[in-house]
Amino acid sequence: MPGMWWVLGVVVAVVLVTAYLIWIASRVDRMHARVRSATRALDAHLLRRAAAAAVLAEERYALELYAASRIALDAEGDEREAAENDLTRQLRSSVLDPEEPVAAAVIGASRRLALARQVHTDLVRDALSLRRRPVVRLFRMSRKHERPRYFDIDDPTLNSRPELSVG
Amino acid sequence: MRIGIVCPYSFDVPGGVQNHVVDLAEALIGLGHEVSVLAPADEDSPLPPYVVSAGRSVPFPYNGSVARISFGPVSTARVRRWLARGRFDVLHVHEPFALSLSLLAVLSARGPVVATFHTAMTRSRALAAAQGVLQLVMERITARIAVSALARKVQVEHLGGGAVEIPNGVAVAKFADAEPLPGWPGPCGPGEGGTLGFLGRFTEPRKGFGVLREAFVGLAAERPGLRLLVAGPGDVAELHEGVPEGLRDRITFLGQVSEPDKARMLRSVHLHVAPNIGGESFGMILTEAMAAGATVVASDLDAFRRVLDGGRAGELFPTGDAAALRRTLASLLDDPARRTELSASAREVVGAFDWPTVARRVLEVYATAIEATDGRVLDEEWIGPA
Repeated sequence: MPGMWWVLGVVVAVVLVTAYLIWIASRVDRMHARVRSATRALDAHLLRRAAAAAVLAEERYALELYAASRIALDAEGDEREAAENDLTRQLRSSVLDPEEPVAAAVIGASRRLALARQVHTDLVRDALSLRRRPVVRLFRMSRKHERPRYFDIDDPTLNSRPELSVG
Repeated sequence: MRIGIVCPYSFDVPGGVQNHVVDLAEALIGLGHEVSVLAPADEDSPLPPYVVSAGRSVPFPYNGSVARISFGPVSTARVRRWLARGRFDVLHVHEPFALSLSLLAVLSARGPVVATFHTAMTRSRALAAAQGVLQLVMERITARIAVSALARKVQVEHLGGGAVEIPNGVAVAKFADAEPLPGWPGPCGPGEGGTLGFLGRFTEPRKGFGVLREAFVGLAAERPGLRLLVAGPGDVAELHEGVPEGLRDRITFLGQVSEPDKARMLRSVHLHVAPNIGGESFGMILTEAMAAGATVVASDLDAFRRVLDGGRAGELFPTGDAAALRRTLASLLDDPARRTELSASAREVVGAFDWPTVARRVLEVYATAIEATDGRVLDEEWIGPA
């Protein structure tokens, strides 16, 4: 019976399309969940670096560095990127000896921050490119997720050894 | 931390990626982590206790040479079983874009995935044809590591996404403690004697053996007792090509050497020469020679200059210039104080490439990947004592 086959074909096609859509939707959800995790981690590492810098500044009575780290700790929203870049500049102009524990904490925190920033940027880019897909837009699969934002700061790596740099 | 590492190439054949994986796994175990390595290997081949065999591998032409890999439904099943049993905190795959176990593992993984790119050519043609698959693989990789600036450049420009540059490590202790070969390096006085070393594929033009040969022939004629120690794949006839009859007995050829013999060979020379004229993305051999305490003379390539800390840890000469190399060799052979100075700074600089140091950098990347996957923020202490 040709009618039977026709119906069966349509059923198979619908099942396949549905499976594809569910799969894409789960990818969208997973990507956004990762971006949220990465954002939380980035936030934590920013705070950790600013705190380490504040400790260093207190020990050295470095007023400008102390101010920069306080501002970075308190900054919110759009001001935050500029405040973090300021702190990076302040740290770059400070003498940091890896043998000294307080300075080593700042160097380590900056390195971890650089990694967190890298991973965050990659995930945001992947999520945004997924959101741009026609099928994702057509079915508004990303409507329940906030649009991911890049956190645009300079590379915070302090270590001068080029072969171990992050970028 | 429970770490699963996937090596795409078989342990039955020696290779850079395989050595890297073994050294990394051992360094991580040394730092107190649990490591399991999945790699293709024949059933009866001897494997370190932390390596799990993914079964027989098949020869596969890749990147100009033949690699032995595993791929297919049987391998897929083994990869899934290994992942399920391992319950890893992080999965670390090497060369994920070759059709291999690494690719299978990335596609089967759920948690945080870290990928290391070794060669500059990491994108297989099959994958290049399927942009969608490529995107899918990239999406599953949380953090990327490139072992050289060149590998990182390719990663950033051709694949999109950033990569952290962490150099290849070197097992400093293995090289520093090796015994020199009996009778080497021999005497080295003003105007006479001295031993030069070369390690690598001397038939490969990019390795620049021709430059060293020209410098050696010129220098040996006026410097009695100067010897050249060569190790690498190839045959003696090719090695002797272009060397006058009378000088041939001053070249000692060891053939292809094992890892322990390589360390001994590097301890048996006064000067280790790396005359490469290009194509060297990192300069692994330099870090090994530095770890062995050899005084390094290398061509002035970007990668070499970086490893040698701008010439502080080894003498640089203009790339491809045999006359300049000859002058550099002659003056260093007559200057033991300068040799000692260079080799002392080399030992200091190579500390940054020692495996435990490099493995700690890799652990930081693992921690970052885990944070981006489940939102836990990991303490510095958790990834091992600094």
